[in-house]
Amino acid sequence: MSPIITVRNLRKHYRYARSSGLLAAVFPDYQTIDALDDLSFDVSAGERIAIIGPNGAGKSTTLKILTGILEPSDGSAAVLGLIPWRDRTALAHRIGVVFGQRSQLWGELPVRESFDLLRHIYAQEKPAFTARLGRLVERFALAHLLAQPVNRLSLGQRMRCELVASLLHAPSVLFLDEPTIGLDITAKAAMRDLIKQQAHDEGQTVLLTSHDTRDIELVSDRVIVINAGRIVVDQPTSELRRRFLGRKLVTIRSVAMAIALDLPGVTMRSAEPHETLFDVDTGKLHVERLIEAALAVGGIEDITIEDPPMEEVIHEIYASADRLAD
Amino acid sequence: MKSMHPPIGWRIERTLAMLCIGAAATWAGRTVLLGRGVYYLLLITLLSAFWDLVAAERLPGTLASLLPVGGLAVYIGVTEWIVLSVPSIHLRLEDDIRSGAIEAHLLRPVSYPWLRVSETCGGLLVRLGALGVAGMVGLVVSRHAWPSPAIWCCLCILGVLGGMVGVLTYALVGMCAFWVRRTTPIYLCVQKLSFLLGGLLAPLTLYPDWLLNIAENSPFAAQLYWPAVIVIAPTAATVSHALLMQVLWIAILAMLLAFIWRVGLKRVLRNGV
Repeated sequence: MSPIITVRNLRKHYRYARSSGLLAAVFPDYQTIDALDDLSFDVSAGERIAIIGPNGAGKSTTLKILTGILEPSDGSAAVLGLIPWRDRTALAHRIGVVFGQRSQLWGELPVRESFDLLRHIYAQEKPAFTARLGRLVERFALAHLLAQPVNRLSLGQRMRCELVASLLHAPSVLFLDEPTIGLDITAKAAMRDLIKQQAHDEGQTVLLTSHDTRDIELVSDRVIVINAGRIVVDQPTSELRRRFLGRKLVTIRSVAMAIALDLPGVTMRSAEPHETLFDVDTGKLHVERLIEAALAVGGIEDITIEDPPMEEVIHEIYASADRLAD
Repeated sequence: MKSMHPPIGWRIERTLAMLCIGAAATWAGRTVLLGRGVYYLLLITLLSAFWDLVAAERLPGTLASLLPVGGLAVYIGVTEWIVLSVPSIHLRLEDDIRSGAIEAHLLRPVSYPWLRVSETCGGLLVRLGALGVAGMVGLVVSRHAWPSPAIWCCLCILGVLGGMVGVLTYALVGMCAFWVRRTTPIYLCVQKLSFLLGGLLAPLTLYPDWLLNIAENSPFAAQLYWPAVIVIAPTAATVSHALLMQVLWIAILAMLLAFIWRVGLKRVLRNGV
């Protein structure tokens, strides 16, 4: 299958003035930062790809270049046969974009009016648009929200509306920049399901950036890890999950002063009086077994199960990439 | 699902939709609109009382003695009507540019300045309507002579065009946010110039000749003076000259806005926001 997105040797340098003030305005002293450094990858139709990396790695810069709102310093890229930064308007008809921290809706007005304006902006025929909106409203459970002003919606409700707004013109490719940022656990889960189901049913290609390992695990089937503007890892999510995402952090508050467990795949990371943090390799042991063992030895007052922080996962990926390079 | 509409039909429909959403957003803030109407009513009551006194004195030896009785009060009512109706588009643009919200707009197949100007013009129309009603109430309360239907028609057209000149002028101020941190100082300078050269508080004919020549041909006069002057000099020549000046300035300001937008956009595409 021929790729619908191609990126070749993409570079982006930003130039910032080191200082501000009158003297700096007359004699500016610029600093150059390499946001992207020789980035190359292809995306086939229907793929769901997560681009991950620490802050400043170049994830958003990549997405901005591919959506046409930023020009690269060097290299080439094509999305659906168009050069994004040159064919921005034509491309806008064929892609959908959600920036988790930016709204594309009109805050003071009911959701329905924003959707209706988007119909005019994207030159959609009313009957086809109405039918599509109806399907999306049903899938995203928005019927009761359509008459409400956008700025009265909760963040989770607003994000569902943002996602629908980006899908109204039936785009072939969906770009999502931190689509679950700030959402609670339930809203995050709902967003992930909706994105995955929507992309699956309509065969959309999805490129998403996120800091949340669950977004990557549940939505994407391929992961590109970027650090300092370079690709560190590009592999299927199943492979990444097997190697890096099969861990849980379990914090147990116990009746006993301390809990000592000797179980396969379990490492004690820290221990304070009545509180112990375990690192569990879920490939070797189910969390349920750990809880049973903890109940048996110390009694449990409270328990928290978390994914390892993204920074930690990425650190492991980098370490692994370094080992491979060596 | 691409439209089968001809491009021009689609563009007109899209512009009307953007006007409507701007109008709807302004109408959604009806309480603010009501407060603005009350403020306008108080303002023109005070100013018209002041100008009625001046007109009573007839300012011997000045051109004011040639002005019709009560006309000055209505003139001020018209200039204030337009000034208070122009939405603060510069703040919207500044906020979009500085906060990076402009990125979401760049992802749409519509020109960002066209979108914002159309929306703002929608808000302008609602404000002109609401303050127009307040102005009529003021006219009844102050017992000034009711202008003829022909003057009302001219006022509607010239008022809208004057408001559009104001919107485009302040849109240019907002676009400065690509280069300066805050546009308010520029806005204040432009606003004071528009009050002075637009003849906000007195017709330009009261100015000395050298200033009159500059002011009459400025965009500020196209915004305020030319729409308002027809209540004191209601001739076909005045109306046609006013229309000419307004259309000319709308074209010039729109071209300037498009040029500045292109320069600013290049900067955003190159450096990001």
